[in-house]
Amino acid sequence: MILLLGPAGLLLLVVFAAPLLHYAWLSYHADSVVTGLEPVLNHGANWIRLLQDQRFWQDATQTLRFALVSVGVELLLALAIALLLDQRWRGRGAVRAIALIPWALPTTVMALGWRWIFNTPYGPLDQLAHALGWPSLNLLASPAITWIATVVGDVWKTTPFAALILLAGLQTIPGDLYEALRLEGGSSWVCFRRITLPLLRPYLALALLFRLAQAFGVFDLIQVMTGGGPASSTESLALYAYLNAMRFLDFGYSATVVSGSFLLLLGLCLGGWLLSLGLSRPQRQQEV
Amino acid sequence: MTSALRRLQPWMVAALTMALLVAGSMVWVQARPTESVNILMPAPFADATQPLVKRFNQEHRGRIRLTVTRGPLETEAISDLAISSLLLGDTPFDALLMDITWVPKYVAADWLQPLDPWFGPEAMAALAEGVRAGNSINDVLYRWPLVASMGLLYWRTDLIDQPPRTPQELVTISRQLQADGRVPWGYVWEGRQYEGLSCVVLELVHGFGGFWFQPDQAAVGLNQPQAIAAVAWLRQLISEGISPEAVTNYAEPEALQSFKAGDAAFMRNWPYAWAELQQPGSAVRGRVGITTMVANSGDPSTATLGSWGLSMLRGSAHPEATATAMRFLSSTESQKALFLSHGYTPTAASLYRDPELIALNPILPQLEEALEHALPRPETPLYAQISDVLQRDLSASLTGQQSAAQGMERASANTEAILRSAGGTP
Amino acid sequence: MPHQRRLWIVLLLAWSLGPLLWQLYTSFCSDQALVAPLAATPERWTLAHYRAVLNSQPPFWRYLLNSLFVGTSSTLLTLVIALPAAYALTRLKPWIARPARLLLLAAALFPYVLLFLALLEVARSLHLGNNLLALSIPYAALSQPLAILLLTAAFRDLPLDLEDAARLEGMRLWQRLRWVLIPLIAPATTSTAILVFLFSWNEYPIALTWISDASLLTLPVAMARIAGSSIYSVPYGAYAAATVLGSIPLVLLVLVFQKSIVSGLTSGAVKG
Repeated sequence: MILLLGPAGLLLLVVFAAPLLHYAWLSYHADSVVTGLEPVLNHGANWIRLLQDQRFWQDATQTLRFALVSVGVELLLALAIALLLDQRWRGRGAVRAIALIPWALPTTVMALGWRWIFNTPYGPLDQLAHALGWPSLNLLASPAITWIATVVGDVWKTTPFAALILLAGLQTIPGDLYEALRLEGGSSWVCFRRITLPLLRPYLALALLFRLAQAFGVFDLIQVMTGGGPASSTESLALYAYLNAMRFLDFGYSATVVSGSFLLLLGLCLGGWLLSLGLSRPQRQQEV
Repeated sequence: MTSALRRLQPWMVAALTMALLVAGSMVWVQARPTESVNILMPAPFADATQPLVKRFNQEHRGRIRLTVTRGPLETEAISDLAISSLLLGDTPFDALLMDITWVPKYVAADWLQPLDPWFGPEAMAALAEGVRAGNSINDVLYRWPLVASMGLLYWRTDLIDQPPRTPQELVTISRQLQADGRVPWGYVWEGRQYEGLSCVVLELVHGFGGFWFQPDQAAVGLNQPQAIAAVAWLRQLISEGISPEAVTNYAEPEALQSFKAGDAAFMRNWPYAWAELQQPGSAVRGRVGITTMVANSGDPSTATLGSWGLSMLRGSAHPEATATAMRFLSSTESQKALFLSHGYTPTAASLYRDPELIALNPILPQLEEALEHALPRPETPLYAQISDVLQRDLSASLTGQQSAAQGMERASANTEAILRSAGGTP
Repeated sequence: MPHQRRLWIVLLLAWSLGPLLWQLYTSFCSDQALVAPLAATPERWTLAHYRAVLNSQPPFWRYLLNSLFVGTSSTLLTLVIALPAAYALTRLKPWIARPARLLLLAAALFPYVLLFLALLEVARSLHLGNNLLALSIPYAALSQPLAILLLTAAFRDLPLDLEDAARLEGMRLWQRLRWVLIPLIAPATTSTAILVFLFSWNEYPIALTWISDASLLTLPVAMARIAGSSIYSVPYGAYAAATVLGSIPLVLLVLVFQKSIVSGLTSGAVKG
């Protein structure tokens, strides 16, 4: 038994548990190029700095905004796609395969592609705007809206994944339920609201949870598409942690940023879980 | 038997000669292998130095082969590229064209080779005075400057006779010119939240008698009255309409554009802007003068020093060859060529008095004078972080979200937090 | 087929393929045509961009090869470790198995990019940098949660009598695994293998920090470097060509293995 579980357990401990503990430890040390990249105890100076670090909190807000908007849009789109693919029609398998392509591509490959698509003035969107007589869109150079371009890139890539999860859920719903409701005179919308949505809930929750956690750690897309964006307006927490380590050579503070991000993520998940409990209680009361 | 041997003799001699030749050439080749030197440079410099590299390889054919690796366009991305290798203990490059602000960081990480064996005091003495700063840490030379740059105040010679020397003068003259309707704006400068803003503010803080950061004593001067006064003055420029609101989003290109179109009486920019202003499409062609930044009387007129220089990486396999390449690229002939082709400001003192160059760019003597006022940005490994924090709070102050005093207090507190967190306080 | 549905299908196809098709289109456009991609221009088509990308130093196929190598070795390593672990998990008492599965789920959800710093320090101290084989170790480790969850579900689906029969025939544990159990879950193993391969191929932050040597870069890191090096004045022809070349292997992979991918993900969703 030990032999069977040993290697996996070891790898998991080394790769998941050990780093988190190490970060917690390292965040209480100064470990930068100034200390010769050796950890020196600094009694929480990193954490004090984190609390007053405007860039960290700006990035936290931006990352949260990115995650919530991106996942929200994704789930809506994914639901639509899943409903479409759930029905039986000719060529469904081929379309499903094609819909999967965005998810299979490496993020950085398509991030480059998105830079080109959003390019001012040669990208197709800008060309379209010119043709319609609008001014240049400048989508990648304005701190107020560049983040929306990154959301588009993220939604395009990850929607198929969510769609597949929801599709799996849809396929577990027995068809007789719909028939029964239709015989009672229910319309498509009523079917959707009273059968599909409630039964899809665990799958929606799974997709939501999975995608929120992944979106919170967004790195590849941002780094290649905007590099943190005009004036750090699209910078994510992961990118900030990376810059602290690789550009500023401050490993101690990078560990602090990662730990802070992890705590925020835990808070987010906890908040989401409490919210879902709160939402389901009135529902249960209704059913009773 | 002897007759057979005698017949073979010529063949034996030939064979022996051949063998000796082959062995000799092998020994010769091994004794003088071609050393390859690889230097990483930002893309514009890599392109500009192409002809120089070609000449070098021709002159040193068979002994040294120099290649210049073309790095990304973005300044910081070049350092990122080098660091990603250096952190893993690998040095694919022998030398790096370094921005002046990276030197303390690379030296602290022990990635640079001291250059004293190859560039001694005589070489140093040949440099223009202002260029010597920022290349040595603790009296050890780590970077040899290639291109010099300093912050300048551009002024319109057709609007006024003498440029302003104090901030108050600049404001008075601008107000007058604007009231007379001769020019829409008084002063355009780089106010966007980026490294250029740090350069602008460094000059003014010193011009008001203050300082930003002194690494030796780990002293932060941002929350002192002089620095606050400097920032308040910048904010006043915007709030009183001497500089447009949009200046808080200007980088060098935007300020240049505005001044080139004749929309401003004064501009802060780098030497490269001069050539741009003399182009046919410029509305101020032939009517531009340069001088150093304004300062309160009794306080130093300061020009932020920006320069690129060559540093040798510690793991280089061919230090001698690399030093030869570095010396070649920074020689007076090479600098002259770079100036003629791309307008890069030279570092050798003699070139500032070269009549051929002055004929092309009459402001060279003034540039040399400006170099005497040149000041590098705080030389600390933590420069990138403290600059970022300053830019943030400055930007908030300049856009009116907080007062100058508040902004500088926060910047100072943040800077000290960074020092403590990174172990920078002694 | 109802017209409304056809419209949705067309929209879906346009949305999924549109961005890629634009890259394909512009990758063949000459530089003048790129400046006005939608206008009619003489001298429109060119292969120059592809030539530029394929002839770069190091050559583009090198990155594909590196990614292939890392992908294959991580997949093998993952399976070798995860298969026994998944089997063991099905034989554990429920009071250990359930929390273990929850922990694995939490690990699968975790944004692994946050681990880059610790892994970088591992690479520095153990000198694992710039080594494609060493890179498969963190990849295998990061793939364990998903792989174990999927394979456990597959093992649990097998009827117990099969293994009992094998045990009665005198087969030891390893023999049972090798000859009976693992072959029976082959479809799930294939799905898991493909998903792990996809993950390794597309992984970016760890490859970025562990590999700096230009000739050892995997595809995503190479693309990011190309992205950072704005070489041309109207650069995007080469970018588009690079995007197309970088996408081809995966598009093929998806089209060939789509059933496997879908079944892997959906079964994971249903049973996980």
